[in-house]
Amino acid sequence: MNLFFYIAGIVAILSTIMVIAQKNAIHALLYMIVSFFSIAVIFYLLDAPFIAALEIIIYAGAILVLFIFVTMMLNIVIEKKKEKRWLKPKMWVIPIILAVVLFLDLVFAVYSIPFPSVDKGVVMPKHLGVALFTQYLPAVEISAMLLLVGVIGAYHLGSQEKKVTHRFFEKK
Amino acid sequence: MTATDILCLVPVLPLAVGPLIIMIMVAIKRNYELTYGITLLALLLGFAFIFYTIPFVPHSIGPLFVIDHFSLFFLGIIILSALLIVLISYGFIKKLSGFKEEYYIILLTATLGAALLAMANDFVSFFLGLETLSISLYVLISFQKRKRLSVEAGVKYLILAAASSAFLLFGMGLVYVRFGTMQFDQLAAQLIYPVHLSPLLLLGFGMMLVGLGFKLALVPFHAWTPDVYQGAPTPVSAYIATVSKGGVMAVFIRFFFAVHGYQNHVFFIIISAIAILTMLLGNFLAIRQKNLKRLLGYSSITNMGFIIVILLIGNKQGVQASIFYLLIYFISTIGAFGVLSVLSTEDKMVETMKDVKGLYWRKPWLAAAMTFSMLSLAGLPLTAGFIAKFYLIFEAVKADILFLVFVMLASSIISLYYYLRVVTAMFSKTGEEEKTYPALSFSGGLALSFISVVILFLGVYPGWLIEMLIKFVGL
Repeated sequence: MNLFFYIAGIVAILSTIMVIAQKNAIHALLYMIVSFFSIAVIFYLLDAPFIAALEIIIYAGAILVLFIFVTMMLNIVIEKKKEKRWLKPKMWVIPIILAVVLFLDLVFAVYSIPFPSVDKGVVMPKHLGVALFTQYLPAVEISAMLLLVGVIGAYHLGSQEKKVTHRFFEKK
Repeated sequence: MTATDILCLVPVLPLAVGPLIIMIMVAIKRNYELTYGITLLALLLGFAFIFYTIPFVPHSIGPLFVIDHFSLFFLGIIILSALLIVLISYGFIKKLSGFKEEYYIILLTATLGAALLAMANDFVSFFLGLETLSISLYVLISFQKRKRLSVEAGVKYLILAAASSAFLLFGMGLVYVRFGTMQFDQLAAQLIYPVHLSPLLLLGFGMMLVGLGFKLALVPFHAWTPDVYQGAPTPVSAYIATVSKGGVMAVFIRFFFAVHGYQNHVFFIIISAIAILTMLLGNFLAIRQKNLKRLLGYSSITNMGFIIVILLIGNKQGVQASIFYLLIYFISTIGAFGVLSVLSTEDKMVETMKDVKGLYWRKPWLAAAMTFSMLSLAGLPLTAGFIAKFYLIFEAVKADILFLVFVMLASSIISLYYYLRVVTAMFSKTGEEEKTYPALSFSGGLALSFISVVILFLGVYPGWLIEMLIKFVGL
């Protein structure tokens, strides 16, 4: 049991270090996906399969796709030659090795752990939903406010105001 | 949620509803005066509802919040400070170019975050409140997005605050691993002293201290303060120095007392070392400072050092003294920043000693307000700051932590130098160079006269407030 956790933990740390060590944003994101997967495996090993699924759906699925879209839109001009250079095996071999290690870790874990392994029991979606809509309801509402602040703040800092005067009349 | 739950949350409801109303209004038509009016109304309603809630406390809402006299008093201090800051920012924000209404939306949500911190009784509400506050502050600090310094300060605060939040969260996680609960009172029930703190738990509490220390700018984690205070728009600097620190201080006091930190000698040594360093270093850095916003930043570091001394006393009277000190410090700091902000415009920020030189000969009333604030911060008699410092030192002497008392006295004496330097600069004659200041808006004048009157009134007649504190507030 502990061994599986340590393997997933080591993969998480390695891939996260690689995220910040990469020069190319897309390659960093590749490692970030591996990092999220390894965290999902850790959640699974801690008897929280629902959170593990959420981690993959939300982080690896939605957020990273968003990141990749933005990064790709920022460098629109991509020459074919450059693309060739970026896709060298060196770039994708290590993430794949890490992912394979993680996959084997998960497969062996599924077959060897008597379920559930922690005395608190498995956290199922129903438990989470009940907790969120009864005793933690105020927390959900505060999170809504938190997201609202984020949206308004991003809008304010990112917005560009319309120019009223022609640039000919602008002062230096 | 039951009806009583909602009744107890009534003081914070206007802070949550206000931003939504303003947001919808801005989407229809931008109107600066109306936005400002709604903000004031929301804060006034919140303040008034506190008195309405008093009969229902103490009451806890689920595991997340506890509403007692302590949180209500802090709520009052936070909302009052936010109200004063809104009043002093009217003129300055009005003259900014670009969109301005967002300022009030985000100021209200930041106040909401601080108010939630004052009521937090659980790691979940603690962290959510703190993040609501911090994310609002990132935007407020870099609100003048055309100014390089402002954006730089915002980015600095963003990176450091995110790192400190990570520390805090990790610490909470480690504490949770040991106890299996995130509620402060259940943690307290499991910690029966004298207990041997395992390294894991010590690391957890230590990391939480790092996170909190950053938000309060205690000394090893203070380095962001001067740059952020200088770069932020002046009313926002006042906000960081007061409301944001008030909320964090409330949750810090509640948590530290819940786990009886003062009974553990490791915590005692760490906190007293931090307090001594904070009090002294803040002062030494301020002595040669020529920029008033940076100077007030260092002054806020020193004052936080004073307040955390009270954590070591560990009784009810200590908490009362620290709340009193906090209130007076807030009012004096808002007064000082308020004068700077009513004098500033977007192009010409008033922030150095040179800018305020000879202020008395041009704007005598503003110079008087600034003088009252400075004297109160320095703790001279007849101002409220003297009573606050006296009360704090009195409690420290009673608790027999004489070494800390000595440092507090020394630090007060050093601080006199740089506060009075500002006063002498304002009253000295300048050359013939012409300085133009913008006209004082009505709301700015109202706030500053209120602050001056409160400083003088509490300096002469503080008894009723202290009696109220003793009657109501305890942990």
